[in-house]
Amino acid sequence: MAGLTSAIYSTFIHRNAVYLSTIFLGAFAFEIGYDVASNKIWDAMNRGRQWKDIKARYMQAEEEDDE
Amino acid sequence: MSLASASSSLLRSCARQQVPAARAALASCQQQRGVADASSKATFASPFDNSTTKIPNFGKYASSKSPRSNQVFSYFVAGAMGLGSAVGAKATVQDFLVNMSASADVLAQAKVEIALDSIPEGKNVIIKWRGKPVFIRHRTSGEIDEARATNWESLRDPQSDEDRVQKPEWLVMLGVCTHLGCVPIGEAGDFGGWFCPCHGSHYDISGRIRKGPAPLNLEVPAYNFPTEETLVIG
Repeated sequence: MAGLTSAIYSTFIHRNAVYLSTIFLGAFAFEIGYDVASNKIWDAMNRGRQWKDIKARYMQAEEEDDE
Repeated sequence: MSLASASSSLLRSCARQQVPAARAALASCQQQRGVADASSKATFASPFDNSTTKIPNFGKYASSKSPRSNQVFSYFVAGAMGLGSAVGAKATVQDFLVNMSASADVLAQAKVEIALDSIPEGKNVIIKWRGKPVFIRHRTSGEIDEARATNWESLRDPQSDEDRVQKPEWLVMLGVCTHLGCVPIGEAGDFGGWFCPCHGSHYDISGRIRKGPAPLNLEVPAYNFPTEETLVIG
């Protein structure tokens, strides 16, 4: 435990530049993860109701009309 | 000068006399505290003489973890706060900027799609795009050669034909004369391209100004070819 905390300290916190870079990179990664997760939840809650879910039906019908 | 040095030496001697007493008090304090820590008494007496203050023992509230681990926790909390604020600030700014940009229906209306197989070689087509005429010419290979062979460095608005077209057989440009905004006439003029009847500007087969008052070449809009046979302007 002591080894882990001092490793974290010396890797990420000891130099302020590294600390700040870690925060901003973490913010970038967090934002991507948050967006992906919330989109997944949204799609799961609205499965079968969104255009991308029902698009195949209409696109097929349109092609048949064309032919 | 002498007065100042005298007063400063006096002050210094005073300080020197004070130091041993303070040091003794400090030493006794440290000693007392050491004893208190060792025996974990509930309270301990003030190190100063004739003081009735009883200082309680705060050992119960002291963290049992190592100082480094507490430090890492504090920095983690501060960093997580900064991370959250950075994400929130970015999202706020982005929402404002997205709000200012054009919406999807406006963007959809701002585009025009043309089927290219309906335009035979050597013919002009004029279409309306965002309220302005757009010239599309299906150039013949002879016209392409003519446009490329021109010594374009010496023109009024030097621009090579390669910079003005994406596919050499398709010339797409705004049909607005760069002089005063008339619509030039196709397949006319001294250079086999366009001729503006208002003030007599001649454009060549690449839409470059060659003669007359216009200062610039005919403007090329943003366009692309999603498939071989379609053209989307906008």
